Amino acid sequence: MAKARRIKNKIEDMLEMPKEVYSDTPKLTVVGFEEMFIENYKSILEYEEFFVRINTHIGILNINGFNLNLEKMTNDDIKITGTIESIDLEKNAD
Amino acid sequence: MEFIKIAISYILGYVRVTVEGYYIERFINICINNKILIWNIKREKQGVKLFLNVGINDFKKLCEISKKTKCKIKISKKRGLPFLLNRYRKRKIFALFLIIVVLLILFSSNYVWNIEIQIEDNQVLDGIEEEIEKAGLTVGKNKNKIDSNSIIQKIRLDRKDISWLGIELKGTNAIVKIVKANEAPQIIDENAYTNIVSNKAGIITKIVAQNGTAKVKVGDTVSAGAVLIEGTMTGKYTDLRYVHSIGEVEAKVWYTAVKKVYYTNQEKEYTNREENKYGIKINNFKINFYKTLSNFEIYDTIETEKKAKIFSNLYLPISLVKTTNKEQINVEKKYSIDEAKNIAIEQAKQELDSKIGDKSSILREIINPKENADNIEVTVTYEVLEKIGTEEKIQF
Repeated sequence: MAKARRIKNKIEDMLEMPKEVYSDTPKLTVVGFEEMFIENYKSILEYEEFFVRINTHIGILNINGFNLNLEKMTNDDIKITGTIESIDLEKNAD
Repeated sequence: MEFIKIAISYILGYVRVTVEGYYIERFINICINNKILIWNIKREKQGVKLFLNVGINDFKKLCEISKKTKCKIKISKKRGLPFLLNRYRKRKIFALFLIIVVLLILFSSNYVWNIEIQIEDNQVLDGIEEEIEKAGLTVGKNKNKIDSNSIIQKIRLDRKDISWLGIELKGTNAIVKIVKANEAPQIIDENAYTNIVSNKAGIITKIVAQNGTAKVKVGDTVSAGAVLIEGTMTGKYTDLRYVHSIGEVEAKVWYTAVKKVYYTNQEKEYTNREENKYGIKINNFKINFYKTLSNFEIYDTIETEKKAKIFSNLYLPISLVKTTNKEQINVEKKYSIDEAKNIAIEQAKQELDSKIGDKSSILREIINPKENADNIEVTVTYEVLEKIGTEEKIQF
């Protein structure tokens, strides 16, 4: 099992592809305190005007702020706008 | 990609929906898993309501999901073209005219409604408009039937003062670009036998014959058409032979202008009052929005026409005609003798200045006023030193 993962990692290094394209690793892009993009998410756990909790493949993402809107939503990315105060990631225990 | 999807959904129509319920996150997740595009999701402040936009086609699916998650669903706004069209469904005549207008614009954009003539360096060509019209480029002609090449050839054959001509059809606007040709001077063959002939009457002040025989002396008075240097030579041992005469002849030439100015004059003067009248012209059919009679007794009329256009080059066959009448009144003006004289001199000088090009060659100005009972007559004479003499072929 460990050997298979090592081979997989090697191939990935050789191809030099961005990680979020071939794996489920989420990619977060924060533009100032007003905008945020999340790629490769799983689902929304909680959504309040002041708090958004999003489940991803590696853990849970918490966003605190005011007037948080989910502007654009597709199968694997979200755009969040509003006043973002803090972001934190909780790693999955595996 | 996302933006295009939303733009398309505006055309297809979308609704703003209010969702009320406890498991709103679950509702959103199910929507996304069913690949329903929702956007602008907003949560109510301190409440359980959720606002979101969804396309018309996906709305039915949304209703099913709301039943599953036990959420209340309510439409708060309807946006997009389908709703807009639905509102005007019963206005059949409105729709009919809308279609007619669109068809008219499409139909009329096949024709040329404006001809713009651009001459390089803002030069003037007399009668070029008529020439273009005669060649087949007229207002109201179908664009497909305009054969630019044959028109260009026709105009260029007819006129010799055009060195280049191009026709560009832009929208309903036909732009004719013209480059004026410099008129070629009449070239006389250097080997031809020529005389030098005066073209003005005057007194000769200088005559130099480089080739040929001088026929006049300094101080002679010549009239127009007199031979100054004859293209003949007689040598000591040779007989008379003809040559191409070369020489320079300078003469004093007089220009005169007579102006008469009356002491009492009826002059028209503008008052500040004016009236604007508007009308619409469709091709050649004019509709006036006013009575033709003016309020003023004496007036000047200025007519300006403005063509309607949609974009910078899409002219329509409709034009707005603005007629401005400026009121005038007759004013009796009296001049003293000196004033009248000055006015007459100024007018005469202006006329003379336009005749002679170079002002520095003026030798003398002679002013001769003649006072009459009710007017003054002023004769202004310029004495100018000028080169006279043009080449002319000897007729045998």
